[in-house]
Amino acid sequence: MSVPYITSRLLYGIPLMLGVTFISFLLMVHFGPDKTYELIGKNPTEEQINEVRQSLGYDQPFLLRYGNYVKELLTLDLGLSDSSGEPVSSILIKTLPISLALVLPGFVLGNLLGMALGLLAAWYRGKWLDKLVMSASVVGMSVSFLVIIISLQILLCTPYGLNLFPVRGWQVHGLGSYFYYVTVPTLALVLVTLGYNTRFYRAIMADEIERDHIRTLRAYGAGPAELLFKHVLKNSLIPVLTRIMFSVPFVVVSGSLLLESYFGIPGIGLVTFNAITSGDQPILKAVVGLTGVLFVLALTINDMLYSVVDPRVSKS
Amino acid sequence: MSCHALKVNDLSVWFETDSGRRQVVDHISFSINAGESTGLVGESGCGKTMTALAILGLLPTSGVGVSAASIEINGKDISSLNAAQRRAVLGRDIAMIFQQPGTALDPVFTIGHQISAVYRRHFGGSKKHLWQIMLDSLEAVGFSRAEKIASAYPHQLSGGMRQLAMIAMATVCNPVVIIADESTTALDNSTKSLILKQLERLQLQHKTAILLISHDLAMVRQSCRNVLVMYCGRLLERTDCQSLYSHAQHPYSAGLLSCIPQVSANRPPRISAIPGQVPSATDLPSGCHFAPRCIRVKPQCQQSVPHFDSEDDRAVACFRPLS
Repeated sequence: MSVPYITSRLLYGIPLMLGVTFISFLLMVHFGPDKTYELIGKNPTEEQINEVRQSLGYDQPFLLRYGNYVKELLTLDLGLSDSSGEPVSSILIKTLPISLALVLPGFVLGNLLGMALGLLAAWYRGKWLDKLVMSASVVGMSVSFLVIIISLQILLCTPYGLNLFPVRGWQVHGLGSYFYYVTVPTLALVLVTLGYNTRFYRAIMADEIERDHIRTLRAYGAGPAELLFKHVLKNSLIPVLTRIMFSVPFVVVSGSLLLESYFGIPGIGLVTFNAITSGDQPILKAVVGLTGVLFVLALTINDMLYSVVDPRVSKS
Repeated sequence: MSCHALKVNDLSVWFETDSGRRQVVDHISFSINAGESTGLVGESGCGKTMTALAILGLLPTSGVGVSAASIEINGKDISSLNAAQRRAVLGRDIAMIFQQPGTALDPVFTIGHQISAVYRRHFGGSKKHLWQIMLDSLEAVGFSRAEKIASAYPHQLSGGMRQLAMIAMATVCNPVVIIADESTTALDNSTKSLILKQLERLQLQHKTAILLISHDLAMVRQSCRNVLVMYCGRLLERTDCQSLYSHAQHPYSAGLLSCIPQVSANRPPRISAIPGQVPSATDLPSGCHFAPRCIRVKPQCQQSVPHFDSEDDRAVACFRPLS
């Protein structure tokens, strides 16, 4: 991977990021809630209204406000939260690591297990093992995440079941307490995503196994391990990487939203959830904007990784 | 000759479908001597590729049935081997060159890696040794800058170069038998003859037996000593090339030959076609499969199957052969 290639990819990312932040600004801020009337009392005069609008910056021209928004995102100086008065950036810095620590094990395990099961099902395509794995994954996809989370909580976290783990909370001080709090959410995340992952990876691997060059390898005496773990896996890296990279932003924000609200964990998802319900605009602006930026970043890194795994991409 | 390089004995392949068995290769037997080329010709869909895949044991296990009395390479039966034993033979004793050089090589590994992997699988050896063996095999097929080809990915080479690399891969272990399945069909004429020339050269050098599967009779005539004519899963005629072209005995062989366009200065090219179409494998006619399209058909042809003597050097499965 050459330096010009990386810079060109990064340059392509800039207009994309501008577009993403522009749309989120348009939807969240320009067409978003107007706080003027929350802040002023009853029967305001024209001057009072104008005064408040001026202090909120509503009277400035549209493009200038957008420019300020981009500047805020760039400098990470995101203002103060409406509800707590804390700087938004320090809220994010506090909660983001918690969300990552919460979601990462489940995300990695869910994808690895899905890949393993998908590979197994693809190899035994049409046999009973394939059918078993595929029907189990349909069942997994059909069960609501609510049912999975609540039954896991009952089974593992209450006196009705094993009562081994906490139902809610996040008092992590070391590795032991980390496992104590992260185990049940991880299990829940794996179970929720495993069905989709398995089906996705099976479809990719089954395609790869049918390819001509795999037949060539068989004709030259390659065993199943060499076929699957060297050639099928390496060839399927492009779709696999794409899926993983594209799901990173969703997992960080929305995936943790689900888990954090059910397990009462103070991560970025819970903060976002509360900001939506209370109309805390500075936080929403920051989260939406940064998610967009994160997405574009993931896309750009994805493009760069293509040229590493596939010799046909790159060099141009 | 006590021991053939390749001897196929009573090979059958069929598909299990909802409407019953579809016989795609019907009890065929043939043999090839070391250092000789035999062409296997016939129209598309007559079971040529199935024969090749069945010999190597590459057909899928579900929905496809294969049976053979024996498939011998240098007298050693490979039809009864288990999967692991068979893998030890594939690529080392028998190698296959595929039709599509564009897709037959793995796009994400270099040519050199793929060729040396074949040798490593069967003989092992140090990295340096493997690399040298691989370069030798590339040079043997005529690449002057083997190092450059070895570090290239398949997409960086032209179709003909890829097929040459495929030949290098097939010959790196110096196998007893090479099966070339329509290996030049996708290539232009000059590349085609280059590839055939290299194959022939390597064959002379190593006394390899080659089964050349093709529908191109002119090409088979150029490069093969013997020829097998196949139709709807059965062998109809076996003979040496010269006799086939001078006087084909089976009406089908004669029909195939008349389909080759003849270009001459005096008269416009005349192409004829065999009347009718290849019957589908689900409802093959009883008796001789070629009977419905045959101009020399007689009642006996539609009732019983003509015998094909697989031991004889020249054999024809016909009740009314041309003579």
